[in-house]
Amino acid sequence: MAAQLRLTRRDLKAMALSLPGALFLLFFLFLPLVTIVIYSFWRSENYTMIADWNLDNYITLLTTRTYLTFIFRSLVMSLSVSFICLVYSWPVAYFIARYGGRYRLILVLLTAAPFFTGIILRVTAMQQILGPIGVLNMFLTNMGLAPLKLLMYTNYATALGLVYLWIPFMVLAIYLSLLTFDFKLLDAAMINGAGPLRAFIEVTWPLNWIGTCIGLALVFIPTFAATITPKFLGGVNGALYGNILAHQFGATGTWALGSAMGVVLFAISSLFVYIIFKTVNLNRAGYTGKLDGE
Amino acid sequence: MQTSAHALELVEVEKQFGPVRAVDNVSFSVEKGEFFALLGPSGSGKTTLLRIIAGLESAGKGSVHIGGRDVTRKPPYARGIGMVFQDFLLFPHKTVGENISFPLKMKKMPAARQKEQLDWVLELVRMKGFEDRFPNQLSGGQKQRVALARGLVARPDILLLDEPLANLDRELRKEMEVEMRRFQAEIDIPFVYVTHNQEEALTLSNRVAVMKDGRFEQVGDKLELYEAPATAFVASFLGLNNTIVGQVTAQEGGLSTIDWKGIRLPVPTPEGVGVGDSVQYYLRSEKMHIGPLEDTPEGADATRLAARLRDIIFKGQYSDYFVIVENGEEMVISDVPDIKGITIGDQVAVSWLPEDGFAFAAKGDR
Repeated sequence: MAAQLRLTRRDLKAMALSLPGALFLLFFLFLPLVTIVIYSFWRSENYTMIADWNLDNYITLLTTRTYLTFIFRSLVMSLSVSFICLVYSWPVAYFIARYGGRYRLILVLLTAAPFFTGIILRVTAMQQILGPIGVLNMFLTNMGLAPLKLLMYTNYATALGLVYLWIPFMVLAIYLSLLTFDFKLLDAAMINGAGPLRAFIEVTWPLNWIGTCIGLALVFIPTFAATITPKFLGGVNGALYGNILAHQFGATGTWALGSAMGVVLFAISSLFVYIIFKTVNLNRAGYTGKLDGE
Repeated sequence: MQTSAHALELVEVEKQFGPVRAVDNVSFSVEKGEFFALLGPSGSGKTTLLRIIAGLESAGKGSVHIGGRDVTRKPPYARGIGMVFQDFLLFPHKTVGENISFPLKMKKMPAARQKEQLDWVLELVRMKGFEDRFPNQLSGGQKQRVALARGLVARPDILLLDEPLANLDRELRKEMEVEMRRFQAEIDIPFVYVTHNQEEALTLSNRVAVMKDGRFEQVGDKLELYEAPATAFVASFLGLNNTIVGQVTAQEGGLSTIDWKGIRLPVPTPEGVGVGDSVQYYLRSEKMHIGPLEDTPEGADATRLAARLRDIIFKGQYSDYFVIVENGEEMVISDVPDIKGITIGDQVAVSWLPEDGFAFAAKGDR
């Protein structure tokens, strides 16, 4: 018995190596999450938290029409933004991975280049382009045309901004997946009678589905929680769930309700990731197209 | 130009990669039921040629005909061919059954007929019962069989094979060589087989083309190539050779005497070679004999050299004897394994008939 419990040097080493990761999860995921969950069952009054346990926050959240509307609005926004990013990023990543040659790394860094400027700057830049006196509408009015109302402080403008923000993530996720993909499999597909589109559907897409899923998660989650982008581009009527959530911790001081909203946000994001990865069949993911000799 | 009779015909095909002419004016045809090998060292253009036939590479010039149809401008998926790749290229996310049925699915064949074809080909390659496995659950030899089955299932007009045995170990390669000949005999589909391994080419095929620098050095029956090589390259590429280079010092009848670093040897006179010219002489190890020095020569015509036995490598049915002849050069002789009276370090006699070797006028390039 005692012999079985003794730890070898190897075990100790492995445990020591796991420590940074474990501490990270503990302090940056688990503890904040627990705090939020606890707060969500409390009550806030006059900007202070009162610890009497109740479900009122959740009841308010799930029965009030306004809150449900915001959840729904953000859900539609996240799904559309993820989808648009997906459609746009695939050709970009495919081109870089397949034809980028020795410039691949530079090309990928270029897609990420806007990130070097920071989110506020990027969103402000979008505002300068799309806003009422932005480049686009200035151009249109100068040409004697009507300004594009559709892109002035609307959810469409927000969507456009979010797509622009998160496309690099999607490109990167798909690109990394394609790096391990054996493009010679497409030769095999073509020889065996598949045209280019069919070969894509039969081979490229399923073998890069995990990478695509990672990209979808990387876009969906920050979009659902977005606050800055809808604030700058969506205007007063374009608020999303994230704005309302942030509001609870600011002006209204209703921390308890805000915490409950945070829990709901976390739950919806987790559910999305769960559903997406349910579609992954590891047997059929192949992960790498290359066959290793045993 | 008549093309209808051939299963595959290439007419004056050329392919240029930058400054390199990978395929240089190649024409040949393959008949139904034939096993045709494209043999050459790496960089000889054999794989490029195969990819041109497949449509994975476009022909710069010339035309490709499969089953009488001109497919030069057709994409791979419209050529009606099967192909087996060196690294198999099975779809890792599809089961064995799905991998093999893939060409049938692309043809939109009814499910019942697909099943029929699948069963037939699984029977042929002896992989029944493996339908639901994934490629990563198979051994190298099994992957090879699945790759072959996928290439054959749609009964293509022609099956192309790109070094299909190169990734298998020796044991398995022998087994698959036998199997491959069996498949080919059973189904009457012509095989075009690319390899750098002369043994494979000679074992498997009926006809062989030896390729070098994008051109065909010689095309013909494998025995003809082995027994009557047309060029120095073919002679040196096939078989285990002793290469002897020397200058002609005298000529008499059909024989020239060459001076090989101090040793004078009679060789058949190559066409157009006179006294003073340089000659390359290729002597197959299995055409030579080795014995104790005191043995009498078998025939008066035989060339006989004294040598010191350096090493014996036992190969089973024969042994390779490595000897150093009097001018310090090494020769290898393949003879019966157990020759009485000779051991390593002994003085021995090696002998052969001059006409058993192949002599060519030496060119600058070799």
